[in-house]
Amino acid sequence: MKTDRLIDMLAKGVEPAQKPAWKRRFALTIAAGLCVAIAMIVIGAGVRTDIGAALAPVLMKAGFAAAAAAIVLPLTLQLMRPGRPLGGRILAIGAFVALAALIAFVALMGADPAERMRLLMGGSFPWCIIFIPLLATPTAAGLLWLMRAFAPTRLTMTGAAIGAFSGGVGAMAYALYCPVDSVAFVTIWYVLAIAVCAALGAIIGARLLRW
Amino acid sequence: MADETALRAWMLQGLGGDEAAHRAFLTESAALLRTFFRNRLRGRPEDAEDLVQETLVALHTKRDSYDPAYPITAWLYAIARYRLIDHLRRAKHRAHAPLDDYEIANERPDYEAAEARLDMMALLNRLPDKQRTAITMVKLEERSVSETAASTGLSESDVKVSIHRGLKTLMRLLGQEDRS
Repeated sequence: MKTDRLIDMLAKGVEPAQKPAWKRRFALTIAAGLCVAIAMIVIGAGVRTDIGAALAPVLMKAGFAAAAAAIVLPLTLQLMRPGRPLGGRILAIGAFVALAALIAFVALMGADPAERMRLLMGGSFPWCIIFIPLLATPTAAGLLWLMRAFAPTRLTMTGAAIGAFSGGVGAMAYALYCPVDSVAFVTIWYVLAIAVCAALGAIIGARLLRW
Repeated sequence: MADETALRAWMLQGLGGDEAAHRAFLTESAALLRTFFRNRLRGRPEDAEDLVQETLVALHTKRDSYDPAYPITAWLYAIARYRLIDHLRRAKHRAHAPLDDYEIANERPDYEAAEARLDMMALLNRLPDKQRTAITMVKLEERSVSETAASTGLSESDVKVSIHRGLKTLMRLLGQEDRS
């Protein structure tokens, strides 16, 4: 087929384009992802038994996770459509990670040297590195599906952004269970767990997001 | 030679349902894309024309992804670059085409189409019946939507949806076409 013929075919009787109502779908997907993750943690692992007494640290951890998700969100949104500059959106993520590392450093330096290892490692295996990616999957699956209606052209980066954002949402749910309240533990291991989500998202996104 | 302003104006009118503007947009885009792909696939003008057609279908089916807050050429070349990378990945000819950024402003659009190798008609035949019929009747035989609806027994909106879905399927099939 000649290209001119193809153009005729595409242009013939063109309809006004529909504006996708993506904001609502996006919000619903995130809310659903968070609800499923909370259900997973409540049914699968159980909310920590001292939730009443430990409400402050739980909220702090969920807040930190929400902040991580919020810092990745602009990048994720920007990647939905082709040809938009990413600008400071990646820089903001770098600044967030640096800030988290700084908080961990200050927290550790302010502690008794004998205690530091326990504060950093949480006294056992850092399970969040496994749990948070698991809890991220409902949100990530929903967002990957939603992306089909859009046109991401940088698939690896889009996948990483979706992974990291979903990791933040998963970490919010994980805070209900996470028994470790050490500041250094949370700032280091939550960020690492979210980085794992980003890496998985990059690999999966490069395949699944093709259009 | 179209520039950002003209291309953008055509696109926005096309988004509003203006057929002539949409045609002008696609024609101008095709010329820009031809230069873009030929510069990167030197010596393989048929491959370049395949990519022009594939990208035109992508521009059309994904036109609602254009964000008017940013330049239309950035949108167009982001999609072109994506289709090119996808093509090279499939063809494993990565070494032949440097993907460096370069000055788009210096490019002259190329209106001289080569014959594309891919057979759009053959691909059309692989679409589900309903989608193929809708596209063939409305887009190729130039019958109106209501005529098509009457002769196929589908509703008018069904015909429109079938065309839209068919073009999307076509784009996917184009992407899967194995080219050596």
